[in-house]
Amino acid sequence: MSRKFLDTESPAWVADGLITEAQRQQLLARYPPDAVPAVGLLPLLGSLLVALSALSVVAANWAALPPVARLSLLISSLVGAYAGGHYFMQRGNRTLGRGLVGLGLVLFGVSIILVSQTYQLVGYDASGLLAWVVAGVALAYAHRSRLLAALTVFIGAAVQTYCTQALGSYSYATAALLAGGLGYLWWRRPDGLLSTVLSAGLLWQAALWVGVSHAKITWFFVPAMLVYAAGDWQPNRAAGRSAQGPPLIAAYLFALGLALFGETDAYADLLRPPVLAYLGALAAVLALSVAGKKQRGRLDTLPDWLLLLPGFYLPGGLPLAIATLVVLYAHAGSVLVRAHRAGSADQLTLGTVLFVGATMVAYFKLTWAFLDKSLFFLLGGVLLLGLSWYLRRRNARVLAAAGTPSASPGAPAEPAE
Amino acid sequence: MATAFAAVPEAPLRFKLLPRLLVGAQVLYVLGVAGAGYATTALGKAVVLAATPADLTTLKTTDFVRLRYAVATVPQAQWRGPGAPSRRQSVYVLLTAAGAPTAAEVLGVYADEPRAAAGQAVLRGWVTDVFPRTLGLRYGLERYYVPAASILRKSTVARPLRVQVRIAPWGQARIVEVGE
Repeated sequence: MSRKFLDTESPAWVADGLITEAQRQQLLARYPPDAVPAVGLLPLLGSLLVALSALSVVAANWAALPPVARLSLLISSLVGAYAGGHYFMQRGNRTLGRGLVGLGLVLFGVSIILVSQTYQLVGYDASGLLAWVVAGVALAYAHRSRLLAALTVFIGAAVQTYCTQALGSYSYATAALLAGGLGYLWWRRPDGLLSTVLSAGLLWQAALWVGVSHAKITWFFVPAMLVYAAGDWQPNRAAGRSAQGPPLIAAYLFALGLALFGETDAYADLLRPPVLAYLGALAAVLALSVAGKKQRGRLDTLPDWLLLLPGFYLPGGLPLAIATLVVLYAHAGSVLVRAHRAGSADQLTLGTVLFVGATMVAYFKLTWAFLDKSLFFLLGGVLLLGLSWYLRRRNARVLAAAGTPSASPGAPAEPAE
Repeated sequence: MATAFAAVPEAPLRFKLLPRLLVGAQVLYVLGVAGAGYATTALGKAVVLAATPADLTTLKTTDFVRLRYAVATVPQAQWRGPGAPSRRQSVYVLLTAAGAPTAAEVLGVYADEPRAAAGQAVLRGWVTDVFPRTLGLRYGLERYYVPAASILRKSTVARPLRVQVRIAPWGQARIVEVGE
């Protein structure tokens, strides 16, 4: 509740007799108006402008600077950022301190790149930039910092992208450092945001590997589901679930694409890796995931794996499209059932969205060819209206049951309408 | 109280020593990159490559020019590898006339590192294009950051250039000087 809201609404409360004028004054005194927030921002903006000015002076004269001057400039700003970071961290201002250490880490990479550029030096493998990733992982450990870990995920993504695109090779060391180094940090100090960032970063590494090795793109899901399985074993349920978000989104988008474009055999053919190798690898990951779910008592999330059913081995065409749709429906249904059991409103919304999405895909996929245009739209509209009515009713009932557990489930009380 | 005292000496150590070591290592690494530049000049084989600048008018907005090397296009007949060359593949280019004042010429493009005889040098690169008769190559030396005093800044007319390159025994290469 904001102070402004209190200011505008409280006179009416006094008028209605909810509170007395004295109580109103007490409330206003309890939530003092913020000191003009822009004033606190001014020094920050000022120092930002000064830094930008220094940066542009250097950039404008960069070509005229002798190599030694460039080198000392880079190293002194690197050391300066770290020293400032350590200073503020020791004074207890950890946010600013870590921010400055992060700036130092960025400057380290910039220094490597600019010094190579100054000496017109060409490197032929990732070893030059690998040091950047190593430094990031080491700093994340040294400062036990999630911010630095997340920054390192982005650095790893940039380094790997450069390796695969410009050098034509895959840096396994970068991928291993992210998975092993930051993965261990995540395992010991689980955190929601880092989980998602790290998981997405690892998927990016996997996607680049698939691109460089010219493998069938479905191989992507073996490492992706390994990340998912790691989420199953993570003792902290929320962090594990956050890590599972990106692989699940990728799998869902893939299934959706299969339902939409799977009809053409040419597309499905792009996706078919050797049956035994692929299914064997995926089954091994599944076993790992199931063991983790069992160990941590999370078998209710097992239907997530429905999205990974390898429908693309079916002959392309209508059978494949329909099979994928059935899977999408089953998955949406499983999310709805789980949400219903847990009484979670967010999950319920997600399940509803997935359900409506599957219905739309099914409808556009299956009826377009058979129906007259006006009938097509009419039927679609009626279908969506009916669905929304049904799901709203269901939602309201579930939320009412969750809100007042003592209320009898049969009572059709809907006073909100 | 005792636990608070016990925690004090340990925490500052962790926050002082390890991060400082890391900063020192990073500074040394950056110095090492610069050192590799000087070492390449001092110890590398000198090769002269003929090139033309792609567009000198870009120097008004950027501080580098793109160089088009004569050795960037080689006949397919010079490909020496087990299979056909593919795009983005990294290759080893065997050059003549290492140390000579004349521009180097390509003896062969190898998939695996060849042994260079006296007077020859190996420059690494990547395949950018595979045409029916020729191969397009990239050496990583295409972007030349033009110093303020360079002759390239005198006029915008593109003339043939002689690019002096040094190739270090450990494989790194750098442009030492660009002249006409």
